[in-house]
Amino acid sequence: MKLKLNSVIKGTAASILGAAMAFTANVALADYPEKDITFIVPYSPGGGSDQMARRLQPGLEKALGVNVRIVYKTGGGGAVGFSELHRSKPDGYTIANVVVPNVILSSKGDGVGYKPGDFEYIGMTESAVGALMVPKDSPYKSLDAFVAAALEKPGMLTVAGVGGTGADRWGALADILGIDTTYVPVSGGVGKMMPMLAGSHVDAGMTASNHATKHKSIVDALVIAGKQEVTTLKGVPFEPKWSYVTTWGIMAPPGTPADIIATLNAALNEAASDSSVADALSNAGYNTIIQTVDEVNAFMDEQIKAYQ
Amino acid sequence: MIEAFFLAISPSYLLYMTIGILLGLIVGTLPGLTATMGTALLVPFTFALPTGEGIAMLGGLYVCAMFSDAIPACLVNTPGTPAAMATGFDGYPMVQQGRGQEAIVAACFSSALGTMFGAACYLLLAWPMISIALQFGPPEFFWLGIFALTIIGSLAGDSILKGLAGGAIGLLISCVGISHATELNRFTMNIPELRGGVSLVAALIGVFAVPQVLSMVLGLKRQEYIAEYRAEKGVFLKTILKVLSRPIHFLRSAAIGSFIGILPGAGSPIAAIVSYNEAVRWSKDKNTFGKGNVHGVTASEIANNAAAPAAMIPLVTLGVPGSSPAAVIAGALMLRGLNPGPELFATDGVLVYSFGWSLFIAGIVVFFVGMLATPLLVKVIKIPLRLLAPLIMFLAIIGAYAIRNNIFDVYMMLAIGIFVFLARRLGFHPGPIGLGFILGPIIEPSLVQALYISDAVGVQKIFFSGIINITLISLSVISVAAVALSRFKARRLAKQA
Repeated sequence: MKLKLNSVIKGTAASILGAAMAFTANVALADYPEKDITFIVPYSPGGGSDQMARRLQPGLEKALGVNVRIVYKTGGGGAVGFSELHRSKPDGYTIANVVVPNVILSSKGDGVGYKPGDFEYIGMTESAVGALMVPKDSPYKSLDAFVAAALEKPGMLTVAGVGGTGADRWGALADILGIDTTYVPVSGGVGKMMPMLAGSHVDAGMTASNHATKHKSIVDALVIAGKQEVTTLKGVPFEPKWSYVTTWGIMAPPGTPADIIATLNAALNEAASDSSVADALSNAGYNTIIQTVDEVNAFMDEQIKAYQ
Repeated sequence: MIEAFFLAISPSYLLYMTIGILLGLIVGTLPGLTATMGTALLVPFTFALPTGEGIAMLGGLYVCAMFSDAIPACLVNTPGTPAAMATGFDGYPMVQQGRGQEAIVAACFSSALGTMFGAACYLLLAWPMISIALQFGPPEFFWLGIFALTIIGSLAGDSILKGLAGGAIGLLISCVGISHATELNRFTMNIPELRGGVSLVAALIGVFAVPQVLSMVLGLKRQEYIAEYRAEKGVFLKTILKVLSRPIHFLRSAAIGSFIGILPGAGSPIAAIVSYNEAVRWSKDKNTFGKGNVHGVTASEIANNAAAPAAMIPLVTLGVPGSSPAAVIAGALMLRGLNPGPELFATDGVLVYSFGWSLFIAGIVVFFVGMLATPLLVKVIKIPLRLLAPLIMFLAIIGAYAIRNNIFDVYMMLAIGIFVFLARRLGFHPGPIGLGFILGPIIEPSLVQALYISDAVGVQKIFFSGIINITLISLSVISVAAVALSRFKARRLAKQA
């Protein structure tokens, strides 16, 4: 008897709890968003991801009708912020920047606790291709001159890039060009690479093309990746076999409900289509992107395959 | 330039700059809230303002934080930002000797002078200075870091060996995390949070604040207050005259500060350390440093403040920020559609110069704000230790958490704090450990990069040629030799006695 009563109580409690949970879930879905949203920036204040978040913040707030609070969780090439998002509640109130391929490459380390396929992607907003650049007063005025010099003195030309991912990306172009150079890893991002180029401490630098646009007064681009010209770098040749692209976007924790992702995607696209955002991006040398949820998922599947 | 000056002294510029300065006072005073975090938090609010006023406000916050970080460094031996570590070396002993007011006034006045010197460099010497700074590549940065390490000689106290060991421990802990070049995990023990490395700010709070609190608690029976405190008449004027009586000391500290401020990635903490080291070297009474010499405080504060406006020079000449707060200010400009860099002189020259004038005037305003606040601030000494110790602990925990919003940093701060507390009992000075933390992120990547470049051009050519390398190597050797010689002499004297 005692046992029976116990199970009755348990059953009742469970059903009440279940009903309550269903009720709150319904409310959450119906009224999302009803409180402030936290936007994790996994890179330092003032950097590219921070600026992207700040650019989109007013538009997102307008579209969603709540405040978007930006917090910085930095370190580990983005891994600290990405894993923080991975641990966050999938209720649509925590989102973060995503940088491709950084999110894929950083997940390969042991113990980061996330896989790039886990996250719910909301949409990509901009991309930039790779560029090889030399200081303004460099003796190498064209890609041909650079390649010729590298062939003449194998291993004697130095090329700076950001960290170990830069090494792979430079290696790909060096193979295409058939040259042998010395790679110099720069830590702390492009901000540290530009003074090295301006002071001619390395012969060339390689990073995303938007930096070649921004630092036009210090560097000249010799070649860019991809199948077309970049409008802000008129006349710079492109190398179709070099597939270096960096893409920026927004994502949510694994298991965030599909209708919340749809709401966020609509808000993101509204924010990104604003003419002030779009103009700022194209002036800075980015390609602007507007994606549906299906498109971003297809894009991520393809990228994860490519980098694994 | 004149137009820019009148713009900078217009009421709205002065108003918003002063608001920035008041915020900077708070940000700098609280350990863990750095100038970077303060400016980043302020950026969205400046969008309501015109660009000129907006960046004047950010600049005001930045330079004031470089002064106010001296306040906790002196009063409770915990630097408010990494830049004030060297300030505490003499500032805290001064407070213990009952000279708290003198320490704060000296810090405030020298910060004001340093800021004005740095701003003058920005306005007048931006181009010549940047062309020298560009000569600094990876090997030069490496030797600069090594040179800054030689300060251990004047910090180590009784045992040079313990000083070196402390510096090595600091450098080793700064290696934790993903390596700079090849993205290898080092000492991360499968803890994901360690991949990002140990937060410099949290580590410094651990090195200084936690041992301080622990010794306060253990010493409660003997001591109720940090020090005797009595308001001294005429201390303001006397201190200011003391600072002004050493013009060469001022010029040396300010020149070191502004030059190191220009070097991208070096910034205020290194500027303060090198300047302090030089102050000791050129002083006739070296033994008084670390024991409450007011010129130790001024050397550090003049330099770290001069470095703040100077960090804007690479931003306007190259488009590359010279420090993290400068990076935030660059971001604020870019969000307004401006491209910080040499083109800005052509397109928005008035803005470039009015910002320089704002920083210059900010130096003056910081002085008055600091002078008004000093009598209030030194009252901290009057708080009994049984209240002060938990208060510092509370602020330390908040500060360690706030820097990256990561609870793991709080655990690291506590662990490092307990370690340093125990090490201090064994005769280790916390200074070299903190020094290792600050210099590691400069020395290691530059060494790695220089070694990679040496593959192409050879070790000898990259490390041991060029006037800057030779100068820095010679200075380091002289530093070490001087310390060795003075210790040898002291030992002989002790034997004779």
